[in-house]
Amino acid sequence: MATSPEQSSSGADGSSAAREPILSVRDLRVGFRTRSGVVPAVDGVDLDLYAGEVLAIVGESGSGKSAMSMSLVGLNRGPRTMISGTAHFRGIELISASERQLRSVRGKHIAVVFQDALAALNPLHRIGKQVAEMITLHQKVSGRRAKDMAVQMLGDVGISNPRHNAEAYPHQFSGGMRQRAMTAIALANDPTVLIADEPTTALDVTIQAQILDLLKSLQRELGTAVVIVTHDLGVVADIADRVAVMYSGRIVEIGTTEQVLYAPKHPYTRGLLASTPGVTGPIPASLPTIPGSPPMGAERPDGCSFAPRCAFVLRECATTPILASHDPSDSGHQDACWLGELTIPVPDESRSTL
Amino acid sequence: MTLVMRLSRPLRSRTLGMLIVRRLLLVPLVLFAVVTIVFFAMRLIPGSPATTLGVAGTEGLSSKQIQENIDALTKTLGLDRPLLEQFGTYLLAVSRLDLGYSFFGSNSVVSLLKNTLPATIELVFTAMIIAVILGVVTGVVAAMRRGKALDSIILAFATVSFSLPWFALGVLGIIVFSVQLGWLPVLGRLPTSLGYQPTTNFVLLDAILQNRPDLVLPWIEHLILPALTLAISMAGFITRMVRASVLEVLGDDFIRTARMKGLDEWHIMSGHVLRNSSLPVVTVLGLQFGSLLGGSVITETVFSYPGVGNLLVSAVNQHDYLLVQGAVFAVALLFILTNVVVDILYYVLDPRLRKA
Repeated sequence: MATSPEQSSSGADGSSAAREPILSVRDLRVGFRTRSGVVPAVDGVDLDLYAGEVLAIVGESGSGKSAMSMSLVGLNRGPRTMISGTAHFRGIELISASERQLRSVRGKHIAVVFQDALAALNPLHRIGKQVAEMITLHQKVSGRRAKDMAVQMLGDVGISNPRHNAEAYPHQFSGGMRQRAMTAIALANDPTVLIADEPTTALDVTIQAQILDLLKSLQRELGTAVVIVTHDLGVVADIADRVAVMYSGRIVEIGTTEQVLYAPKHPYTRGLLASTPGVTGPIPASLPTIPGSPPMGAERPDGCSFAPRCAFVLRECATTPILASHDPSDSGHQDACWLGELTIPVPDESRSTL
Repeated sequence: MTLVMRLSRPLRSRTLGMLIVRRLLLVPLVLFAVVTIVFFAMRLIPGSPATTLGVAGTEGLSSKQIQENIDALTKTLGLDRPLLEQFGTYLLAVSRLDLGYSFFGSNSVVSLLKNTLPATIELVFTAMIIAVILGVVTGVVAAMRRGKALDSIILAFATVSFSLPWFALGVLGIIVFSVQLGWLPVLGRLPTSLGYQPTTNFVLLDAILQNRPDLVLPWIEHLILPALTLAISMAGFITRMVRASVLEVLGDDFIRTARMKGLDEWHIMSGHVLRNSSLPVVTVLGLQFGSLLGGSVITETVFSYPGVGNLLVSAVNQHDYLLVQGAVFAVALLFILTNVVVDILYYVLDPRLRKA
């Protein structure tokens, strides 16, 4: 189910209201061919992204969040990947677009910040060159000008003495500096959409906060729409305007950050939040956990894939619930659960029993 | 041997000067080992140069006279001295860069090497260049067409060529191109009719120095077949290495970054894949140069090519101790120096080895 524009009036600056989505994903499916058949990674995702908003995709490993975001720019295309569905962006349908078409989108309109910046940067090229390459590829500027722009960009992402550091190689940078350089590459052409794939996972906590601050301030400054893929709810609370929770290849809940974090509806979201330790308050003897583990791609049950682990299973759960709003006053907060569909109130203590 | 181990351990962040010095410090140690092994190995071979010399042209003499002849020669050549004393004498001479004289004819070993080493260097480096070009092109193409028919064809050729013995390839080449088709000369380095008077004995260099452009074409005609013979099996090896290396690099994260930037496949290959995948290939290249030198001995013999290999084979047959020792010494030196160059190349290619 699509999120209609007027429901997403939740951008941090409130300006994303009543606008057409810039990126519109419908029924996106990604599967990986293996010897034992096709393993589905993304199982029918509908998603809208609005200009200038920060949308977080949250889920655990294997929930399909990375596969989904990578397929938007065709970075996981290959003989073993099957991608179907549509993703409309600036008049181009990204899923069926040719490589040639995609190349004109990649780096220019949609850029990606990858997780492990040391691996994501070419070890044999100077940092400045790697940023400048992005610029010369999409802008008609001289090599010298591109280099100056790269130095400027490196300064913008908070790398000190950028003219000097542009001459450095990735291995000479610290983890935080590498991630800044990665960000400089991604933002070099002022893209409309930035996909940040677990941008802080490989970093230590203080550096994580710095990188998030950087992303947030650059996003505000440039008006970039950001899709941030993460498993870290702290990151979500910090930076996101809206949150989509993915479980087993599907979006199970989507809404504003406040809605999803403070009034979660789907039992999985509730369980996820309950199992997150708070910074304040008493330290619990043990954190609540969700029993069981997510089904592996090939072993997904029919119907709701969370049902085997859910404390509130109904007979209806054998049929796949659709992602829809269950609150007439706010259609922006949607979840895919029969409890909402059948208007069965969930007892409050459920959070602790999960 | 701890010193050797320390000097030859993997490269770490060092300056280029340090690197070269460390490698050059290894040279005398390696050469000492080579000289020692060859010295004793030669004397393990049954027979002696005195016998070979003493028997020659002795028809009609009694066996006693022949034996006296041989004994006299043994004494003259100093082969009656204790082995360790001979070894010591030789080492001392070598340390003064005096490699001695051939037992057959009065040529000094150094002058013989001066005549033959340039020919071998021409052959081996031409082969190396051909092998690298052939191997890199086919390896990259195979990697880009992975799993397709072209990939299988290239791999099959690479495997076959890698397994073919040099002498078989050489003889086949002579039969097809020289005998059957008559396109290329059969043997040698240059026809005597050209009246080539070596200055440096590097034909290409001499052609320029002596203003003899007429030397170049015959030189290439004589060189191409033995060089190809040598190159082909090495190319097969390089093809497989390059293919594997390119495929590995293609799976690296920074290639995904390059793709994210919007680079097309050609620019990804030329700008990001090639240099990164050359690193493991370059490392192996230096070592492979050794087997190329070994192959040159056989190839030169097959083609009667006047190089060190050819010289070495006849010297071994004649028990010409000093010449064998000197020739192996020269080949070992060539091998070491090539590897120093390879080390420098590696250092230039990979900034991670340089000091920050």
